[in-house]
Amino acid sequence: MPTKPPKAPAPRTAEAAPEQGTLLHIDDLHLTIAGRGRAGEERTVHALDGVSLRLAPGEALGLVGESGSGKTMTALSVLGLLPPGARVTSGRILLEGTDLAAAPEPVLRGVRGNSVGVVFQDPLSSLNPTMTIGAQVAEPLLLHRGVGRAEAREKAEETLRMVGLPQPGERMRSYPHQLSGGMRQRVAIAMALVCEPRLLIADEPTTALDVTTQHQILELIGELRERLGMALVLVSHDLGVIARRVDRVAVMYGGKVAEQAPVRRLFTAPRHRYTRALFDALPERAAGTGRPLATIPGLPPTLVGTPAGCRFAPRCAHATEECRTQEPPRRTADEDAPDHTYACFHPAAADATEHAAEPATEHAAEPADAAPDADADGSEGPAASADAAGTGGPTGDVLLELDAVRKEYALRSGPFTRRRDRRPVSAVAGVSLTVRRGETFGIVGESGCGKSTLGRMAVGMEDPTGGAVRFDGQDVAGLDRAGLRAHRRRVQLMFQDSYASMDPRMRVGAILREPLVIQGIGDRAAQEERVRELLDEVGLPHGAVHRYPHEFSGGQRQRLGLARALALSPSLVVADEPVSALDVSVQAQILNLMRDLQREKGLSYLFISHDLAVVRYLADRVGVMYLGSLVETGPAAEVFARPLHPYTRGLLETADSAVVDEDAPREGSPLAGETPSAARPPSGCRFRTRCPLATELCATTPPEPSEPAAPGHQVSCHFPLVETARAG
Amino acid sequence: MTAEAASPTTGPTVPAPAGDDEPTATPSLARRTLAVFTGNRLALLGAGILVLLLAFCFLGPLLYHTDQVHTDLGAASLAPGSDGHPLGTTDLGYDMLGRLMHGGQTSLEVGLAAGLLATLFGTVYGAVAGYFGGWVDAVLMRITDAALAIPALFLLVVVAAMVTPSKPVLILVIASVAWLSPARLIRGEALALRSRDYVHAMRLMGGGGARAVFRHIVPNAVGTMIVNATFQIADAILYVAYLSFLGLSIPPPAADWGSMLSSGITYTQVGYWWLIFPPGLLIVLVVAAFNFIGDGLRDAFDVRLQKN
Amino acid sequence: MIRFLLKRTGQALVVLFLVSLIVFVLLHQLPGGPARAILGPKATPEAIAHFNHLQGYDRSLPVQYGMYLKRLVTGDLGESYKLNQPVLTLLGERLPKTLLLTGLSVVLAALLAVPLGILQAVRRGRASDYVLTGAAFVAYATPVFFLGLVLILGFAQQWPLFPAEAPQSETVGGILAEPAGLVLPVVTMALGIIAMFSRYMRSAVLDNLGEDYVRTARSKGQSQVRVMARHVLRNALIPLASLLGLYLPTLFSGALVVESMFNYPGMGLLFWNAAQSNDFPVLLGVTLVVGVATVLGSLLTDIAYAVLDPRIRSVS
Repeated sequence: MPTKPPKAPAPRTAEAAPEQGTLLHIDDLHLTIAGRGRAGEERTVHALDGVSLRLAPGEALGLVGESGSGKTMTALSVLGLLPPGARVTSGRILLEGTDLAAAPEPVLRGVRGNSVGVVFQDPLSSLNPTMTIGAQVAEPLLLHRGVGRAEAREKAEETLRMVGLPQPGERMRSYPHQLSGGMRQRVAIAMALVCEPRLLIADEPTTALDVTTQHQILELIGELRERLGMALVLVSHDLGVIARRVDRVAVMYGGKVAEQAPVRRLFTAPRHRYTRALFDALPERAAGTGRPLATIPGLPPTLVGTPAGCRFAPRCAHATEECRTQEPPRRTADEDAPDHTYACFHPAAADATEHAAEPATEHAAEPADAAPDADADGSEGPAASADAAGTGGPTGDVLLELDAVRKEYALRSGPFTRRRDRRPVSAVAGVSLTVRRGETFGIVGESGCGKSTLGRMAVGMEDPTGGAVRFDGQDVAGLDRAGLRAHRRRVQLMFQDSYASMDPRMRVGAILREPLVIQGIGDRAAQEERVRELLDEVGLPHGAVHRYPHEFSGGQRQRLGLARALALSPSLVVADEPVSALDVSVQAQILNLMRDLQREKGLSYLFISHDLAVVRYLADRVGVMYLGSLVETGPAAEVFARPLHPYTRGLLETADSAVVDEDAPREGSPLAGETPSAARPPSGCRFRTRCPLATELCATTPPEPSEPAAPGHQVSCHFPLVETARAG
Repeated sequence: MTAEAASPTTGPTVPAPAGDDEPTATPSLARRTLAVFTGNRLALLGAGILVLLLAFCFLGPLLYHTDQVHTDLGAASLAPGSDGHPLGTTDLGYDMLGRLMHGGQTSLEVGLAAGLLATLFGTVYGAVAGYFGGWVDAVLMRITDAALAIPALFLLVVVAAMVTPSKPVLILVIASVAWLSPARLIRGEALALRSRDYVHAMRLMGGGGARAVFRHIVPNAVGTMIVNATFQIADAILYVAYLSFLGLSIPPPAADWGSMLSSGITYTQVGYWWLIFPPGLLIVLVVAAFNFIGDGLRDAFDVRLQKN
Repeated sequence: MIRFLLKRTGQALVVLFLVSLIVFVLLHQLPGGPARAILGPKATPEAIAHFNHLQGYDRSLPVQYGMYLKRLVTGDLGESYKLNQPVLTLLGERLPKTLLLTGLSVVLAALLAVPLGILQAVRRGRASDYVLTGAAFVAYATPVFFLGLVLILGFAQQWPLFPAEAPQSETVGGILAEPAGLVLPVVTMALGIIAMFSRYMRSAVLDNLGEDYVRTARSKGQSQVRVMARHVLRNALIPLASLLGLYLPTLFSGALVVESMFNYPGMGLLFWNAAQSNDFPVLLGVTLVVGVATVLGSLLTDIAYAVLDPRIRSVS
């Protein structure tokens, strides 16, 4: 064990710092979580290892990191709301001079909900299901303000009005399940703010919400922060969420703060190699360039035991012996920016221009996270010739054709389902699209828009209630048993949750062999050979065949899911949110892999995602879905640059991009309101209830697709944004 | 590609047991299940008790010979410690210790057989209902609802009153009532498993219903079945005792713990405690043992499939 | 809500119909049929044939079932062979007393089991939790009659605090007038229920303590006690209502044993005596009534559950 390297050049202690400028000061916080390993052995995870942060009154700090980086632990430790087994082992948490880390429970209780409010990730599970909203919001007042019930209710109602809950007086008597996700999160915010705290901690407050709702909630938090003059700690894995909402950002990795800087500086000139790599792995950085994404190999550290050296060294392309043995000291970026610090021996150049050019070289670090023996040479060739295919658009013949497919579900009645009328839910309402050989067709939309149902119909998991699914010109519904069985070889599905899609009792070898066994392809030896081939292709070691799915990480499971989808050499893979559960760095690995394999094999993808950046990166053409209908389709570059449908434009304006660019301030109005129920869709154009341009015509006549701007760019709207698009 | 970049430390990204990256090192599911089970002290205790009781009932008579057929009224109701009778004698002069072994055989045999039979039949019934769904399910489940609505003991008594109890009859009678709850349980399990993604995935590969049932649904329901079987055996042993207590057991000279206990009741007034406590405690012991084992198995099957 | 009630009631009616069918089938499974059971083993074939004709037992089964149902609807459950009274009259006397015994036991059990379960959940993994868990297992494994016997030996004979026999009054009020006689039967019956309920409460409280909303409640600055009382308890108790519904058949089985043990003049004792004397009309009548009571009882608990849980209540 090497001697501990010197601390940061100018270690600022609580005593030295002027207290009036500090609301919260986390000082060298260490935290461990006692738990058990798989074999039942006891093990201690060093979740936080010397975290120091400082927050001025009224300041907003963003805490970014991948899962397991310690960002949530840091935030929760402030209020002592740690999970069982977690313990602060050393360090201080000074809130206005009081050390909360050492404070007894009653003192913490006096702080919680009073001077510090918290908003958690999942608004449904965070609210008590059997208590009215009014009672839950009023609770902190009764606890901390010593007010009477009537007064508490009055104040609760006022707070609910402040967070934008419509008809707060009536809603006071509602229960959480009666509200939409966005409204629930507003209630949760009201609960955190009802005592007007000086600090709000928001732990992934919008991760469980849809894009448009997410935007509304983040705007609300920003607005309330200004109005109440409170400080904010915004915890998120999403750089895009952080980008526009905070003053300063701390990037966490492996239980340490890797880099800390004012938001603009961090986004334009990150110095720590991890921060830089994280930015480069963002799909929006590579979208439209035809370049593969830069990836970070491997997985975040497990933090069992305290490794020597820089936590990021094992995954870092620039790591040296020094990095692996010594802990990098905290440095100040340069003279004129004392508030930009990082802990890296070999920082990226401060010059922001280098940044844009770099990904191409860093891509070299691509080999799969678990593939020490996978030969990465093969993946380099197709990647280099990427540009032609990426931008030119494929011209292959039509492989899959969806012709006005519809899907209606009869609402099952049961004690938990609401059944006011017998009208079925219209999940997909007449969608037509084509996927050509070798292309990626991306479908974007918010949850409940019918995109997954569409995917399931495309792959034949569900039958459409109307319209036709044609594959190679052949109607899939007309296939007999044998024909359908043969058809299965041509289309495969890549599941969102690969873990759930694999029998937990089967070893990986058996899982990957199953499609071959079912289709009767080859003898056992040939099948096993094919499995090894597949593992090579997705960059997993051959030894994986002896293991069970639960032994793999999320990224590795997606690799396995892809391998199984490819086992039968299909011509089309339908991928339903294949990367939505993954961290950014791992997501980039999977996206690159999908892209490389597509070029090698001439695969087609029907790629379904809620994430605009991911779709933009991977898709040649895109379709935008809203409430069961396809509102716009066209070449990806075209649709993203010049959206014709008001919904598409709203989505694009709403989506939080991790690109901080002051020269291009946002314009227009992001989407307001919420998506109506698919059981009672609006008449005419389904988007009209949220559309700023809607007229009488929109309510009576469903719009037909047209191509008002460019060939191949279709929009279903009575008033497409042709003018605006041209002007923009 | 630069050499520098190609060297992600090949740390065990799959967190292998014992930090070993040799993939073959993965222990089998069965072994891991066993490990969790043996880690549960109550379950081990239950297994230990069960082994001892089985040895007592089935091996004991080989070492400890007594006459369990002919009554000996001359030596009736002797207190424990009497000459040659460490636990005394019953009201009919049978040696108590020998009678406990003899009676335990009946209790355990009937309990085990009835519990297993009930689980087996219930599983098939429930699996059919759950897998086919629709009206088949509705009809089959309403029947179990109705049968479950009549308390088991009432049903048992009515049935037992109509037939002359013998071991096989007792097994059938108890199983005919006890299959209901496993049927309901397995039906729920089958319904849930049927809609798992891995069953969908297999269907998308072109696999059929038989493969779904035998390769995916049944193997994944086995844990539930085994756990339930343990609880069913415990319940069946209790049913045997209840039936005996209600006077509906196999007629003498056969015996089981329940009938021994109920014949002892007559003598509570005169204080023949040794007629009551030994059989009573043995029933408690064996039923608790099966419950401990079932609980431990449930944990073992649960833990086995957890992520990390 | 109304739709839910109608649907649930409809289901209950179907089940009731099937219960009557099962009882009818049992009636016809009697060796030699009802005639042999009533007229005795020495009856001549002619007498049996005559009896069967009189009773309509020589008609087709569906017709007979129709007649059986018709009699049921008019409240005719047949007549006891031994007591020479209509079964319905007998049940009218006995059922309330059984409900009294069961009700008292459930109330006692709930009063003890809920705090015990909470205690175990809060002290999970400590010695008290293990001891109580072990005790619950043993209590569950103890046959009710063995427990009753031990209690009689202990508290009626060794230390004669309570009578070993239940009150023999004709009326519910009369039974309540002798509370001492109720102690042992009620305690005997309650113990198994305590074991069951406390196990449930322990896991329900543990589950709820792990829920996000508990963390939210703590983040408002509430104390553990207040979180437990205001948030966890309600969420853990509501499902107990439906658990009670599922548990009803077991309760009636328990009542059967306890009543026959303590000579408590309820339905269980009536049933047991009938079993001793092959009094089939009584056996089947009681079985039917107990089945009906179970179906209605679980219907009521489901409704209670729906009323208590806002997630179901509001689905109107």
